[in-house]
Amino acid sequence: MNGIRRARPWLGTIVEIGVDGMQATPAMRAIEAAFAEVAIVHRLMGFHAEDGDLARLRRARAGECVRVNARTHEVLAWSLRIAQVSAGAFDPCVATMQVARGVLPLPKSAVVPDASASWRDIELLEGERVRLRRPLWIDLGGIAKGYAVDRAIEVLCAHGATQACVNAGGDVRVCGTQAQRIDLRTADGRIHPALEIVDGAVATSCSDGAQHLHGASRDAVAGGITASVIAERCIVADALTKVVLAGGMAARTALQAFAAQAWRHDDRGGWQAFGIAA
Amino acid sequence: MRARWLLPMGAGAAAVAQVAHAVQYLTVEQAQRAAFANAAAFVPVAVDIDTAAIGAPAGWKPLMWRVQGDAGALGWFFEDAVVGKSELITYTLALDASGKITDLEILDYRESHGGEVRLAAWRNQFKAKSATDPVALDRDIRNISGATLSCRHLTEGVHRLLQLYAHVLAAKP
Repeated sequence: MNGIRRARPWLGTIVEIGVDGMQATPAMRAIEAAFAEVAIVHRLMGFHAEDGDLARLRRARAGECVRVNARTHEVLAWSLRIAQVSAGAFDPCVATMQVARGVLPLPKSAVVPDASASWRDIELLEGERVRLRRPLWIDLGGIAKGYAVDRAIEVLCAHGATQACVNAGGDVRVCGTQAQRIDLRTADGRIHPALEIVDGAVATSCSDGAQHLHGASRDAVAGGITASVIAERCIVADALTKVVLAGGMAARTALQAFAAQAWRHDDRGGWQAFGIAA
Repeated sequence: MRARWLLPMGAGAAAVAQVAHAVQYLTVEQAQRAAFANAAAFVPVAVDIDTAAIGAPAGWKPLMWRVQGDAGALGWFFEDAVVGKSELITYTLALDASGKITDLEILDYRESHGGEVRLAAWRNQFKAKSATDPVALDRDIRNISGATLSCRHLTEGVHRLLQLYAHVLAAKP
């Protein structure tokens, strides 16, 4: 893309936003507005933010209704949908275990979470309210970045952009009629053209360091696996990478439910299409 | 949506990250104008830096400007670089006349975007933060597990520049 691009640190990574085919002034206005939206998602849904929506939910007692921002409500709705179709392989409630394993830092919370609580204990109500059936901790780290990318693209389009790309730490969404090439860097430092994409999203996750947990079994996902998922929305691509890392039939069902495609790499089999009907 | 996978199936190295190619987002002059639209002059500042006192590596030498407007000082502008995973990330930091952060822009980098990143309370912690606040990595600006290396090193870089401001520039007339 030869247009205007900016990169700023957000969401614990570097977020790049670019538009093509626009005059400089409206392009910068669009990019600033998109960064502002990314900042809002960052503040609302950061696990560590003590003043965000997730901190307020952490303080909630069982059965209490908590009003959250419409964006948080939307991400929770997507989370529950993906948890359901993946039979819980994706579960934003593994946060309690991730804190115990030292993957996430211990948040301030007077309410002790129920370690056996799951996504089924989150109830979404009208008026952007959330009710927890059991006290639990929610981590949207596996999905909110994709959502932020989607929102940034929507804001860019609302400001008149027709060809745009947003990349937040490997969660990428492009819009417009031109195909855009996504490259992947391999462990040896080389860069490979990996994908051409028009009007869609791709996200990549690796299971190095045993950081991921299978949402349903709560076992650590085997290391050394890379998963790339292509979907219409980045929020779906982002969340489904964790489902593909967890593997199994649930991953195939979930990919199908969202008309998503996946490629998976491990040292034995190399790159393989995953869950794509021949 | 249309997508075409280009990597060969079967054996091959695993991807560790999606990357942007070496790219320049802004020149220093563009970043200066973006941060201080009303500036009349950017005056280069040369000072001796006691790197040990600031906790910076020996030989560290960021570029600094005093920003002047028609009616007096507007603030300070810095250009510095940090190493990400393997390559340099050049960035600029703008402080207002009281030393508070008003802008942070990446000028160029060729750093991987990282595959494993969690939401981190990050950049907003810099906003309206000045050198009198404790900006220790593990305390105030949180050193989040899962944040990419580039993001952590940027955090450290901003910390050094705020220390430089507090120890050297804030005292200058």
